[in-house]
Amino acid sequence: MNTTIIDTLQDNKRLSTKELLDIIYEKIEMGFNEFKILASGQHDIGGPLWSKDGKPLVFHITNPGQRVGSMGMAGTKIIVKGSAPADIGWLNSGAEITVLGDAGDTAAHCQASGKIYVAGRVGTRSGALMKHDPKFEEPEFWVLKNTGSFSFEFMGGGRAVVCGYECEHLESVLSDRSCCGMVGGVVYVRGNVKGLTNDVDIYDLDESDKNFLKSGLMRFLGEIDRQNLYEELTEFSKWKKILAKPYDKKVKTVPYSIKEFREQKWVKDGIFSEFFGSYSDVIDVVNTGDNRLRTPSWENNLKTPPCEFNCPVSIPTQKRIELIREGKLSEALNLIYEYSPFPASVCGQVCPNLCMNDCSRKYIDEHIKIAPLGIKSFENVDIKMVEPYKNKKVAVIGAGVAGLSCAWTLQKEGYNVEVFEKDDEIGGKLRQVIPSDRLNQDTLNAELEIIKSSGIKFNLGITIDSDEFERIQKEFDVVVVAIGAHNPAVIPIEGKERLIKGLDFLKEINKGNKVKVGNNVVIIGAGNAAMDVVIGAYKTGAKNVTAIDIQKPLAFDKEIEHAKSLGAKILYPCFTESVDEKGVHLKDGTTLKADTVIISIGDRPIFDFIDEKYLNERKFPLVNKFHQSEVSKKLFFIGDCTGQGLFCDAIGKGREVAINIDNLFDKKELKEFKTKEKISLDEVKCAYYHTLKGSDLYAMDVLDEKERCLSCGVCRDCKMCMNSCPKGAIERVEMGDDFAYISDPNKCIGCGMCAGVCPCGIWKMTNNIEN
Amino acid sequence: MATVDISGINKEDLIWQIEYDSNKCALCGKCVAACTFDAIKFDVQKRRNIKSTECIPTPEKSETALPVIKQVVTKSKNCVGCGMCAKVCNNGAIKPVYNERNRMNVKYRALNAESPKRGGRTNLHTEGRTLDKIKVGRISQMTDPSLDAMRHTFELLAPFGRVMPPENLPFEIDPMGNLSLTKKIPTTRWIYPIIIGDMSIGALSPRLWEAIAIAVAYLNEVHNIPIRMCSGEGGVPEKLLRSKYLKYMILQIASGHFGWNRIINSMPYMTEDPAGILIKIGQGAKPGDGGLLLAKKVAKHIQEIRGVPKSDLLSPPNHQGLYSIEESVQKMFLSMNAAFKFRVPVAIKVAASVTSVSVYNNLLRDPYDIVGGFFLDGIAGGTGAAHETSLDHTGHPIVSRLRDCYNAAVHQGKQGQIPLWAAGGLGMKGTLAADAFKMICLGANGVFTGRLMLQIAGCLGDDYNRCNACNTGLCPAGLTTQNPILMKRLDIDKVAQNIVNYFLATDIELKKLMAPIGNSTLPVGRSDALVTVDKSVAERLGIQHVC
Repeated sequence: MNTTIIDTLQDNKRLSTKELLDIIYEKIEMGFNEFKILASGQHDIGGPLWSKDGKPLVFHITNPGQRVGSMGMAGTKIIVKGSAPADIGWLNSGAEITVLGDAGDTAAHCQASGKIYVAGRVGTRSGALMKHDPKFEEPEFWVLKNTGSFSFEFMGGGRAVVCGYECEHLESVLSDRSCCGMVGGVVYVRGNVKGLTNDVDIYDLDESDKNFLKSGLMRFLGEIDRQNLYEELTEFSKWKKILAKPYDKKVKTVPYSIKEFREQKWVKDGIFSEFFGSYSDVIDVVNTGDNRLRTPSWENNLKTPPCEFNCPVSIPTQKRIELIREGKLSEALNLIYEYSPFPASVCGQVCPNLCMNDCSRKYIDEHIKIAPLGIKSFENVDIKMVEPYKNKKVAVIGAGVAGLSCAWTLQKEGYNVEVFEKDDEIGGKLRQVIPSDRLNQDTLNAELEIIKSSGIKFNLGITIDSDEFERIQKEFDVVVVAIGAHNPAVIPIEGKERLIKGLDFLKEINKGNKVKVGNNVVIIGAGNAAMDVVIGAYKTGAKNVTAIDIQKPLAFDKEIEHAKSLGAKILYPCFTESVDEKGVHLKDGTTLKADTVIISIGDRPIFDFIDEKYLNERKFPLVNKFHQSEVSKKLFFIGDCTGQGLFCDAIGKGREVAINIDNLFDKKELKEFKTKEKISLDEVKCAYYHTLKGSDLYAMDVLDEKERCLSCGVCRDCKMCMNSCPKGAIERVEMGDDFAYISDPNKCIGCGMCAGVCPCGIWKMTNNIEN
Repeated sequence: MATVDISGINKEDLIWQIEYDSNKCALCGKCVAACTFDAIKFDVQKRRNIKSTECIPTPEKSETALPVIKQVVTKSKNCVGCGMCAKVCNNGAIKPVYNERNRMNVKYRALNAESPKRGGRTNLHTEGRTLDKIKVGRISQMTDPSLDAMRHTFELLAPFGRVMPPENLPFEIDPMGNLSLTKKIPTTRWIYPIIIGDMSIGALSPRLWEAIAIAVAYLNEVHNIPIRMCSGEGGVPEKLLRSKYLKYMILQIASGHFGWNRIINSMPYMTEDPAGILIKIGQGAKPGDGGLLLAKKVAKHIQEIRGVPKSDLLSPPNHQGLYSIEESVQKMFLSMNAAFKFRVPVAIKVAASVTSVSVYNNLLRDPYDIVGGFFLDGIAGGTGAAHETSLDHTGHPIVSRLRDCYNAAVHQGKQGQIPLWAAGGLGMKGTLAADAFKMICLGANGVFTGRLMLQIAGCLGDDYNRCNACNTGLCPAGLTTQNPILMKRLDIDKVAQNIVNYFLATDIELKKLMAPIGNSTLPVGRSDALVTVDKSVAERLGIQHVC
């Protein structure tokens, strides 16, 4: 070795760091390779330095400043006699540095190669950011005693050994929060360790560790001249090693998961267990069974089709067409006789067919051909007459439509029915006043003939007085009063004696009597009956007919159109002041020229045979909602005598009262009709049906209505639901003659496709989450 | 038959419109099955096809009836845009689309004679938030040492309870030479600077409420984050009241006083004191309006806990029998302090309003040392249910009001004595830590957050009108429903885990913000750390204007 001694204090003058380093550089150039430096706090002694000839450089230093051996290179060996301040071996890249005392903070900071031996303690952040570049020798950092806090933070490679000598009293020889952010390398440590961060794991030594330490300690202790400790320090039970967690396993570990915490530590069964069960039943957003948001139900026949609902007789037209569809033609055509004996006269001709007001088919093209269907039924009538087999007797006073309907129904139920009629013929106003233009008399007579031959006993030409009424009441178990309204109303105006009563006028015409009217006819009143009077007036010679009303006429459009087509004028509002030979004088001063003035503003019943007690203050019968007398349970009033209505109203009430008379005899509760809701148009699907043009439609036979009827509210068994269900949950089951569709709750997800596609509005969804 | 009802409601009037492509639809039914709002249904659509294929006109016609998904249009209950249909659809055939040109504001009122109600949020959108215009601009670099967020020791603690000024502390030196107190001082709990609250059982499904409670307990017990939850006022389950976890729960009393019967009767059985009491006077989302729980959510368990029958539950807009600040101090603060024998700190929550500074000024003079905190709630806060008009048109942004209150305390020389807690749309952009940090720098001791928990738990709503149907009880995520089927959609463990995770992240983020400004404790009032490019914000808040 070519040795030189540098004393940094010369002539009481201290060399600055720069001056000292310049001397060292110069001496290396001169070939010196061993330096004995008596330093006085100069920094950065020992690196990065190399000799030209590659021979090692050796530094013996006393009293150095910071960063001894920083950036030191392989071939440099440094021995500090005594302690060294901060940053020894900072960025050490191969030098071998020995500190025979303590080292300051950040010792071995960023050491990437070389070896550092410290015979005492090291300060905070020592070993921080150590690395190992495989191209160079692995760095080693040996500390005899302990480290300051934050040691080995961000360490990325190399080996550090902290021997913990004489540190038994310390809580941790690595001090607080060692190894923060450590990603690689190994720290061997002897003694207590505490406060390590979560970035590392601590392990026992294996054999290779021990071998490394055995040889390493021998070298280290030799360097610091403490070979005597070898035995003590190779007692490996006190050693551990610290390794960084592999980055892919660097998960934050917790003592227990949330689930374990909830199940084992948290309030037992949960704080809401008094209300709810387990929390394990987490469900998806689409479910079956009880967890469905909605559940379907097949609600066949729960609502009434509009045709049946709107018909005052509740004739089940949908059912009639369904029977056609099923091929049960006779059953289909004769079903109406269960409801009415007038399919051709009323349904087929005079009825305004309220049943078709809401016919769903109307919204596709035109409503069902209801009138032709009635006539078809009449043409194919095939009904069996029932001989009375029940011993109860019912008297019906009045053989008008109401009375006949009631008698018809009672007779079919097997009762003895006797009808009393003032006129010589049955049929009431249907026969007496409806113009033949509107009602084919042959058809009417044929239908009346069917009724006459049904087994009902008719007593014609009988005027009922109070004695006779008493007698009938005594003789019969139940009496039905259906005397109609045959007293035409007249208004108390000047010249009222000149008025011809419309009812009488029509009756005369229908009797075939000669009736004569002038050229100009004014009809006071413009209801349906007045429209019949218009027809009568033209038929009997009138040239100009005017119907007046005090309000918008109540006659149906069809009737008004008929009257207008004959030439009639309809005026309103017109308030009649007086009538004289000139005509009708209105309150507004105008005069309607008239040769004949007919009044048709409604008719009232004539209750001359009935005690006042049966009547209310308006002289109409006192009845309950079943049309049963409030005075006598055995007495019923129906038809126009309870207030004027349509023929279908009269038929409907006649039938309903007949059914309730049956209930009365059977000691059952009297029944209310039309209790089911009407199915709405929104519930049926028009989209399935093709719109037909008029000529195609008219060309169709009435029996083809089976193709047009939407079967509102009644399953048409089309299987649309079954074939649409995305889960295959719907099955068709047969029960005797009947069938049903059933949805399997274990398959159904409650999507409502069945309800959405059902042409008839049968499937309904119940919402399970509302409320 | 569908007709156009001009004066009624039509699809074009709706806020959300269902966009549906029947060509993509597999008719699997899942969208309808999953929709809690009855907003879509199956229907049959007619398709007519007329064509002529020959070289001269040769009309051929055909008709097809197709099952399709159809939007349900009603005058009051329609699609809320939650998007559950889109979530379950495998084919991307259906989704709700926001209708800019909707007319519901007019139509709803005209057709229902009712004030529309909404749950969730203000829908003020989040653009232009004051907090987003503020940055942490004073970064410690070589001047003063910045800290390392990952390794440095931080103390993230905020006071809940009256903080006595040093000169008022009754210290004496005892004969042994030790410093000791001569009398009891008010309890102050040092807790995490974020409180989760205050959402009631009733507003939230029991599962969500319990998930939050579990997350809070877990954060305390496992992660040493001393976070607290405020119960809201809808009762507290007895099993929780009697458990040791009550210590993490701040009990709320609002004007309805719901559930306090059970709290009082549980007192002899309590093994721990609650963390605190919060008197709710007002709420930021609907200031001046009381709590609202619509009947649909008043299920049997809610009826029981609250002690009321099924009906719309409207809490009075103010505490019956309180007519002045002085009276509220006397009655509410004193009684609530006395309820737990002065061991439990009591704070008050008011809506950030123009008058809230006066209230705070007044409370700062608290001569009885019983005012343990002032909670300010701003306009952008959430709500379980409110009239839209309250949500959209009443309230006050939180930032300047908090600043005013802090400055008022500074003016009196009493800052820090009655801790200030602020809320109202914090975390709206997803990063609660940044919002909290800025509020703290502006003078808050801590912040509280509610609606964000719903977002963490899986809420489908957003600030652009999506969903916001918490009031309906039909929450598609099972969060704000009392329906036994819907609440099962919520996985309590996953939700609790999400909340825990969010706070672990927030904890890191708070430190990441504290470290650069060199604070290892909360930088309460350190407005010097904040800068803004917005001059008016700078002027109003007294922070540096930068450009």
